[in-house]
This record gives sequence, C-alpha cells and structure tokens, in this order.
Amino acid sequence: MRRRGRWLGAYAWLVYLFLYAPIAILVVFSFNKSTQTAVWAGGTLDWYRSLARNELILASVKNSLIVGVASTIIATVFGTLAALALGRYEFRGKGITKNLLYLPIIIPEIVIGAALVTFFGVLALHLSLWTVTLAHVVFCVSFVAIVVRARLSGFDRSLEEAALDLGARPVQTFFRVTLPLIAPGIVAGALLSFTISIDDYVVTSFVAGVGATTLPLQIYSMLKVGVTPEVNAVSTLLLLVTVVLIVIAQRLQQPPGEGVRD
Amino acid sequence: MTRSPARLRAGLFAAVAAVSVLSRCGGSGRNEPPDPGPGAKVLNVYIWSEYLPKEVLEEFTRRTGITVHYDLYDSNEPVLEKLQSGVADYDIVVPSDYMVRILIELGLLRPIERARLKGFENLDPRFLDKQFDPKNAYSLPYVWGTTGYGYNRVKAGRAQDSWAPLFDPANRGQILMLDDMRECFAAALKFQGHSLNSTDPGILRQAADLLKRQKELVKTFNSGDYANILAAGDVWFAHGYNGQLAKVAAADPQRFAYVLPKEGATLWMDSVCLPRRARNVESIYAFLSYILEPEVNARIVNGISYASANIPARKFIRPEILNDPAIFPSDEALARCELIEDIGDATTILDEYWTEIKAQ
Repeated sequence: MRRRGRWLGAYAWLVYLFLYAPIAILVVFSFNKSTQTAVWAGGTLDWYRSLARNELILASVKNSLIVGVASTIIATVFGTLAALALGRYEFRGKGITKNLLYLPIIIPEIVIGAALVTFFGVLALHLSLWTVTLAHVVFCVSFVAIVVRARLSGFDRSLEEAALDLGARPVQTFFRVTLPLIAPGIVAGALLSFTISIDDYVVTSFVAGVGATTLPLQIYSMLKVGVTPEVNAVSTLLLLVTVVLIVIAQRLQQPPGEGVRD
Repeated sequence: MTRSPARLRAGLFAAVAAVSVLSRCGGSGRNEPPDPGPGAKVLNVYIWSEYLPKEVLEEFTRRTGITVHYDLYDSNEPVLEKLQSGVADYDIVVPSDYMVRILIELGLLRPIERARLKGFENLDPRFLDKQFDPKNAYSLPYVWGTTGYGYNRVKAGRAQDSWAPLFDPANRGQILMLDDMRECFAAALKFQGHSLNSTDPGILRQAADLLKRQKELVKTFNSGDYANILAAGDVWFAHGYNGQLAKVAAADPQRFAYVLPKEGATLWMDSVCLPRRARNVESIYAFLSYILEPEVNARIVNGISYASANIPARKFIRPEILNDPAIFPSDEALARCELIEDIGDATTILDEYWTEIKAQ
C-alpha cells in the first residue's frame, strides 16, 4: 500500500511538472536580460519597464479585457438561461436544442471563424471590437450552459417547491433560492468563458477589424521579429491576474462556514 | 518572414474568402466601388508588425491632423481574408509580392492614382515593374529583403558564403530549413546554378533529388521561430529571411552571421496597396506622399532595420544599417537575387516533389 502511494505521489508530481514547467520557465524568462527568448543572460526588470511603455501591447491588453468582460457577461446571461430551460422544462425540439448548444464546442474553431466572417459580410456588419465580442459569445455561451447544466443536474427541486409552498412568488423563488444555489456553477462558467475569450486566437483572427487587435493577435504578429521577453512579461502579468481571479472565485463559491470544496 | 508558417490556415483563409465572395455574388460584390469622397481625417492601416515606427506615425498626425489606427498581422493570408470579407475598413495594407498578385487578380485592390502622390520618382527602378504588378498600378514597394541563412560562426568553423553547407553531409542534424516549398526549391535551384523560377522538368527533377538527399541532414523545417532556434544553439545553420537573422547576428556578431549566398537567393518585397473599399482617400495619399519623403523613409528604415527602395533616403539612413550587407546587399549580390514568381503549371510538379520530400 505504502509503496503504491509513493509511486502515485511521484507520478502526480511528474504530471504537475509537465503541466507547469513551461509556465514556470515563461515566468523565469520574463526576467531574462537577453533579447533571445531561449538564452539566459542574467536577471532584469527591464521587460516590465518597457512593457509599461509599449502602447501596442497595452492597447491590445485593453482590447482583450473589453472583449473578455463583455462577452462573458452576455454569454453568462444567455448560457444560464439556456441551461435552466434545458434543465427543467420539456418542450418540442429540446433534443435538437441541446445538441445545437454543444456544436460550437465540437466544430473546429477555424470553421466558426470562417462562418462568422462570412455571416458578418452578408450582414454588412463592419469588423470591429464588437464583432470580436459577438464571435466570442458564440462559443462562450456553450461553455457556460454546459457548466451550469452540470450544476443543475444535482439540484434538489424540493427546495424550490418548499419556497413556493411557503408563499414565495416564482420570481422570488428564482432569485432567493434557485440563483444562490446554482451561483457557483454560474461563476465557474463565467470564469471559464473569460479565460477562453482572453486567449482565443483563431476565431478572433478572422473577425477582428480596425482597432480590434487583442493580446493573442498582438503576440502572434510579433512572431515576425521573434517573441521578445516583453511577451513573457505580459503573459506573466496575465497569469497573475487569472490566478487571483480564480482564487477569488473559489472563495466566493464557498458558503460561509464550509471548508474547501470542489 | 513573408510566408505563413501554417499552410493549412492559409488554405482555409483562402477557402473562406472564396465562400464569402460567392455568398455576395450578384450583390455589390463585383461592381466598381462607389466614389468614397475625401473621407474622414483618419487612416486605418493593416501592416506587418514592426514595420512602422511610432515616432513616424506621431509626426504624420502632428503635420496633417490625421489619426492613424493600425493593426498588425503575422502572415499574408489574413490580409486576403480581411479584404475578401468586404467588411474590414482598412485603407492601407502591406502584402508580400505573391499576395499582391493574388489581390489584384481577385479585384480587391484600388489602383494608385500617381498624380495624387508626391515622391514616386524617389523609388529605385530595380524594385518597380515586377511580375506581380507589372506597371505598379496597384502597389508601391515598401520594404524588401532576401532569403539566405544564418549560421553559428563558432560551430561552423569557417566563414561561409555559399549554399553549400546546407547540403553538406558534415552538417547532418544541424540544419534548419524554412517550411516553405518555393523557398527550399529556390535554395536548391540557386545552388545548382539555375533560376529559382525554372520550369524545366529536368532542372526541377535535379533540384528535387538534391532536396531529397538533404532531407536526412535537416533537423527541422520551421518558418516561424528559426532565428530563435539558431540563437539558442539548437542548429548551426538556419535558412530564413534576412530581417530576423540579421537581428540575431547584430546582437552577437562574434557567434552569428547572415549569409546572402554568392550563387544568388530569393528577393522578397512587401508593398503598400490600397483595398478596393478604402474610404479615407485624402488621408491615404497624404500618407503615401509622407512615407515617400526621403527623410521620413530613412526614419522608417532606421527604426525597423529593413531596406527600403527609396534612393534619396539613403543619405539619411544610419551608416551601420546602410553598410550592413545583411540589410543592404551590394548591387552585384542583389543582381543575383530573384523574386519568387508565379510559375504556372510547374507549381504542380513542385507540389508533387515537395509532398515526396516531406513524406520521406
């Protein structure tokens, strides 16, 4: 038993090493003096300083945040509504609706991008930051809906029935019973949606227009002259923000008095 | 780097573009664009990253009051996709030679009215009237460069000036080649003393045989990160575009150098073009005339370390850039370089050979 435990532990460490070593290297190299990303030449904070002056990268971070927040809000509202409808009502075409909801996840991103740019072309909708946001909503809705549905599947309907029995109106029941119970699922879906939006390259590259360069597009375009440690620096900061967000979200998900879950 | 590292993506972009045009067939898609009038005091530029120094743009805005928005790309295919979508509001794009030809053939560019711009006469005739746009009706050369290779001076042992080391069994496992059919064939054809636009089946067969023998010497085919791989010491020889390789060489001249092989090589050009739907016409011509001014053009070259085709600008280019043979090769070396041209049906032959080589 002990032996197996030790092997399992070693295996687990290896898996974590595999997952996190590249990220650790990226963080370390963001403090690298050399302009070449693969050669270590001593520590420096210069890349963070030049980052603070690089208007292009800062503008792209701003664009990414605008798109991430806007598409997350829209996708969370519609994804949650879709999950509720599918989770508790029977209606004609429910099976198809359910499958259609999974489509944006299954279809290759490049096809979604292609389809969307054609669609926008037909609508004569000029490419901008808003077309990027709309495009992100398309696939984010699915992720939110799936996460929220998973939460709903373990939902105890008798709690809602009790609320209604005790005189709460349906709207009150929704906001005071249902919503707080599925909130962790909604927050998790929103977070997932935000992270997917922030790092999307393929779809974005199709639908971005004037002034809509997001951070992944910016980083890719810099490949022409080689990835500088500035990119490592901005990625490190983004990583930091994401980690902080996730920690906050996990705290929020814990009902008071309860220990760590999930 | 003028070619996309991802052929799949390139193909898909093209497919999308085709679909989006079809979907508007019969609509306004094929008509002449309406006269846009003078347009607003803005200019939307879609350009390779690091091609426009910030201070050059700031001065343009100071002088003219025109605000410049600009977005960047990393390969030519997004330019095609954006222009074909019909809903991208760019006024200026800067595609590479072969893409200019495609855009012209698809009717996606607006002719440049030479009477409305100043400074055309500054351009070096050696970079005008090329096959991709024979009368420069649609394009103005912006920057140009060559495809040679960078090498590790310490490991290679001696100074190099030929394509030979890339085909030398002594360098087995130390060679990186661009993942690009035409560029690899260009290296082989030039090494064998032929034009890189040869269409003779016998000559192409010889080049393919050379590339097949070379395949087992090649460590990796890579079109995106070649300069970093060379700088990291993972290969001794890296086939690639001069821009990135010259930067590696300039950062550590003791260890690295760029070679424009004596047998000749690829010349590439990125040109300024106007999308057919460009709207801010006044701003466009103000900008074109501005970047053709010798002093402004020199400031661009000084800022991005790529060669331009502006002759009077050379007086203002910093000597270390003007005298760097990796950026401005000698006239004799340049005379041995050729643009990659459309070789028609011979492309099919190359495609077959390339598949054989890559599958080997």
